[in-house]
Amino acid sequence: MLSYLIRRILLMIPTLLGVSIVTFAIVALSPGGLGGSLLGPNSQLRPEERKAIMAYYTARYGIGQPVYVQYLRWLGRVSPLGPKAAGEGWPGSWKIGFKIPDLGESWQVHRPISDLLSESLPITLLLEFTSLPVIYLISIVTGIQAARSRGKVVDVGLGTFLIGLYSMPEIWIGVLMIGFLTNKEYLHWFPSNGLHDITSDAMPFMPSFGPHGFERGWLLDTAWHLVLPLICLSYGSFAYLSRLTRGSLLETLGLDFVRTARAKGLMEKTVIYAHAFRNSLLPLITVTASFLPGILAGAVIIETIFGLPGMGQLFASAAINTDRELLLALTLIFAVLLMISFLLADIAYAIADPRVSYVD
Amino acid sequence: MSIEAAQVMSESEAPLAVTVRARRSIGRQAVIDTLARPGARLGLAWLGILAFFAVFGPFIANTHPILMKSEGHWSSPMLRSLTPVDVLLLAATGVAIVLWIGRWFSSGIGLLIVIATPIVLAPAAYLLVQPPANVDYSLYRTMISEGKVERVAFTIIPYSPSDRLRDRTDARLSPPNAAHWFGTDNDGADVFSNILHASRVALSIGFMATGISVALGLLIGGTMGYYGGAFDLLSMRTIEIVEALPRLVLLITISALARHRNIYLMMAIIGLTGFTSYARFVRAEFLSLRQRDFVQAAIAAGYPQYRIIFRQMLPNALTPVLVSTTFGVASAILYEATLSFLGLGLVDEPSWGALLEQARAGGNGFIWWIALFPGLAIFLTVFSYNLIGEAARDALDPKLRKRD
Repeated sequence: MLSYLIRRILLMIPTLLGVSIVTFAIVALSPGGLGGSLLGPNSQLRPEERKAIMAYYTARYGIGQPVYVQYLRWLGRVSPLGPKAAGEGWPGSWKIGFKIPDLGESWQVHRPISDLLSESLPITLLLEFTSLPVIYLISIVTGIQAARSRGKVVDVGLGTFLIGLYSMPEIWIGVLMIGFLTNKEYLHWFPSNGLHDITSDAMPFMPSFGPHGFERGWLLDTAWHLVLPLICLSYGSFAYLSRLTRGSLLETLGLDFVRTARAKGLMEKTVIYAHAFRNSLLPLITVTASFLPGILAGAVIIETIFGLPGMGQLFASAAINTDRELLLALTLIFAVLLMISFLLADIAYAIADPRVSYVD
Repeated sequence: MSIEAAQVMSESEAPLAVTVRARRSIGRQAVIDTLARPGARLGLAWLGILAFFAVFGPFIANTHPILMKSEGHWSSPMLRSLTPVDVLLLAATGVAIVLWIGRWFSSGIGLLIVIATPIVLAPAAYLLVQPPANVDYSLYRTMISEGKVERVAFTIIPYSPSDRLRDRTDARLSPPNAAHWFGTDNDGADVFSNILHASRVALSIGFMATGISVALGLLIGGTMGYYGGAFDLLSMRTIEIVEALPRLVLLITISALARHRNIYLMMAIIGLTGFTSYARFVRAEFLSLRQRDFVQAAIAAGYPQYRIIFRQMLPNALTPVLVSTTFGVASAILYEATLSFLGLGLVDEPSWGALLEQARAGGNGFIWWIALFPGLAIFLTVFSYNLIGEAARDALDPKLRKRD
């Protein structure tokens, strides 16, 4: 297992290199090339100011040099193993070695990208990790229900409803939710924007009864802000997974050991929950790898619609403003996140299925 | 058409009915089984309506009158305003209808002729059909109000998608009413007309992008599975690299950096980023097919490679690929809508996603009719493709097949 893990983590390196080459190539091939986006925001400047700024960027990013030189410079900065100033990192006296990666500075907001990430990444991860249990819980419950009433009206109706549900574009549901559920003209049930209320800093952490009656506190306030984004992020995957649970459970229910269990006279509940369900879990775990990119990309849409200052929104704004440094850094982070989650799904698979062994 | 022909055959040659049925290919049987399901029929019905809108859009919603008698002579501004693309689509549809009536459509050649028609006619169309470059939409309304027009016949919806009703300032953001069935948007353009004309964009991007994905997937996946070796290894690493980024992230990056986005670029990027799943699938199919006896026999018999690949292996790998193609079209349409919604889609062309974005960020707050109807169009289209895909998958799944 350990050797498998190490091999998988080492295999990530060439893939990440590939991702960085692909994204760098896309940026380099775009009109205006690598420095193209610099000309836009600075076009209001006086010529000498503009010259100074261009000179600074040319020195820092090597704009004007061949693409591969720029790529290698960027790679040297970003990678944790590479050229560094003597005195930092490890080993301290060498000019090459391990160091803290420097993701650069956003060209649009002029702040270090690592700062931007430390603010936005937790929000995206919060969204992802709260949506996953919700997705699994609901889909397993409905999937089992559908499988138990196979062929009946409930099953067929639920099946069609679920196909309909995952055909609904997130952009549409998100816009409708904001329009109808956060709007004073219709139903003002939820906040329309952001992750916290303006006054949330002054709130106590837990809900409590204060002098003004019930106060929802920081925790409940955040949860309240997260309800709509979470629904919007989850329903597609939930619909997909629910149908998969049904199919997988039905397949298991046709196997011999289930017939044996029934022949022994076990209760239907015991047959399903204790015998069949655990054996039908495997496809649910393997499929996680296939819908995780979807939820990660969904964060881009949902954070943009609901105004959550997470990584998805940061990425969307970086793309629209063609902020090269931020784009390159964020695509790399997206790739890292995705590969880590693929790895976690594989490990979960190995734990759930004793037949799978990664020992060579 | 093909189904009807098959049924007619089996009825007229009653003694031979059993053999006729047995001689049907898996593909044709799958199509028949798929179409027997109500979900697939509903889906096809909606797609048929959309296809009708896509082809005949200019005849349904157009500011240019069909016929107009002005100062004594007749003219048809609508026909003169048709673009080369309009004409080519109409030509292809005309050929398809002729072939259908003549019952030549069911063979692959019929389909090829329909596809070839617009390609062959394209140079002539672009030379001969030249709609006026600058259009003054308010011209006709002004002429009518000034009494310069004696007789005039408009299309059902007398508004082009880009007709912003500049002559009528009160027309902006009007809710659905008798004149504007789905209301008007921030600029005063008719929402129904926009949705109708955008169906062409959605359908064509769905088809072409998926076509590119499938063609690439078959080519790369087939080569990987058949030859294996270094090419297989390299391609697999490439696929892993493409899949290491969520597809939407890749699409956003590319379309944000492309300065001149048009419909062909959108087709290309959505198609090029989607080949990986098909390639993986075809590779796995080819790997297992290679071990099968009939392929081994073909190799032993000394058949040329192209014959083994195209006549023996490809038909056996193709049917499941075609099922996932329907889901692929659905997701391509979703990606186009999402990119347009984020402001990274088509410029200057009506698009469902761009309309939705207006409802959210148009600066006038939430306008329910701009949000509801375009989204409904996206939903119904994606739903249709998914229903057809599910039906096809069920029809092909031997475990679920009840008959035979």
